[in-house]
Amino acid sequence: MRIDARNLLDRLGRNDFAYKEFEDRFTELELWPILEALLRDPRMQAIDQAEAAQLEAAAADLAAPVETAMTGPAAAEPLSALFSRYGGEPVAAPAPVDRRTAPQDVRAMLRHLSDLGSRGEI
Amino acid sequence: MAVIVCHGLKGGAGITFTSAHIAMALSEAGAEVTVLTVAPRDSMPLHFGLQPSITLPSLFAPAEDAVLASGINLRSHVRAVDDPDFVPTLLDLGYLEAGADRVMVIDVPAHEFAFARRIIPHASANLCVLNAAPDTLALLPQALGEASPENIARTTFAINALDETRRLSRHASAFIRELVGPRLLGRIRLDEAVPEAMAMLQPLERYAPSSAALSDVRAIGAALVPALETPGRPWVARGQQSAPSTSRAA
Repeated sequence: MRIDARNLLDRLGRNDFAYKEFEDRFTELELWPILEALLRDPRMQAIDQAEAAQLEAAAADLAAPVETAMTGPAAAEPLSALFSRYGGEPVAAPAPVDRRTAPQDVRAMLRHLSDLGSRGEI
Repeated sequence: MAVIVCHGLKGGAGITFTSAHIAMALSEAGAEVTVLTVAPRDSMPLHFGLQPSITLPSLFAPAEDAVLASGINLRSHVRAVDDPDFVPTLLDLGYLEAGADRVMVIDVPAHEFAFARRIIPHASANLCVLNAAPDTLALLPQALGEASPENIARTTFAINALDETRRLSRHASAFIRELVGPRLLGRIRLDEAVPEAMAMLQPLERYAPSSAALSDVRAIGAALVPALETPGRPWVARGQQSAPSTSRAA
């Protein structure tokens, strides 16, 4: 941080500094192939399994969820549900992702991220 | 008497920085905090404004050898990563229980992922420090594939050194946030004041009290305070199935 900027912030009593002027609409998320590659990787489904394990852990009174400081999605959803949510089909259970439909769902997730960005929610 | 494990996927993510400031946040919340580093090459003292030449005392060194900074007891135990009795030792020392009277924050280098996997089940909370960068994201599938579902479920995340002026950083951050949901405790903005404070041999809170990174990381530390009341899973000796044991003869 430049010293003049730091002094200015100190004088203003600002402990926080947001870069809102750099917001964009996230319409270019699909330009990053790594994101799509990650979403296609079956090992990422471990997040789904973790949700099940978390439920079991809670039932066994082994762990309690940590309070979060950041506003985010109301609840963690399995990736399979995340995919299908944007495909317009209701999801009743964290069923394995149908790899045949994954490409559309990946794009749908990226579109969703874009929408969140355009609404200023990310 | 809780243990907080701070770890990461990739070196340079800011695990030590985050560990130090989580410890400070917990201390400010009234906890009696010990920071334990298990790295043979350690930069922890710099985050407390100490001289880089200082050598942190062993976890087992007497109290008169203690290095105290910001009210926090700084300790080292390099052999912990290879010590099969490390977890029982923590138990013997009075950790692995709920409460803020004694808290240990363990700074685990990224390459010691096997050690992290071993101690996470016994911790009250664990925080995985990520960078919103493609080389970090690329390691996620491997890390998720190697970790147990229970460990994944117990893991919270923080994004460090986030440069919100960069499009790719913003996109990667959004991706992580969407992926891990409410388990993302927060993000720490990239802030030049962090290395500058180290170069000045001053704690960040003294060098730049208005630092964006400082407020971000302290908020994450404050979010971990409720976890101190969550006991880690008791250590079970190898070969036993149920009863917790204090034996170190596993």
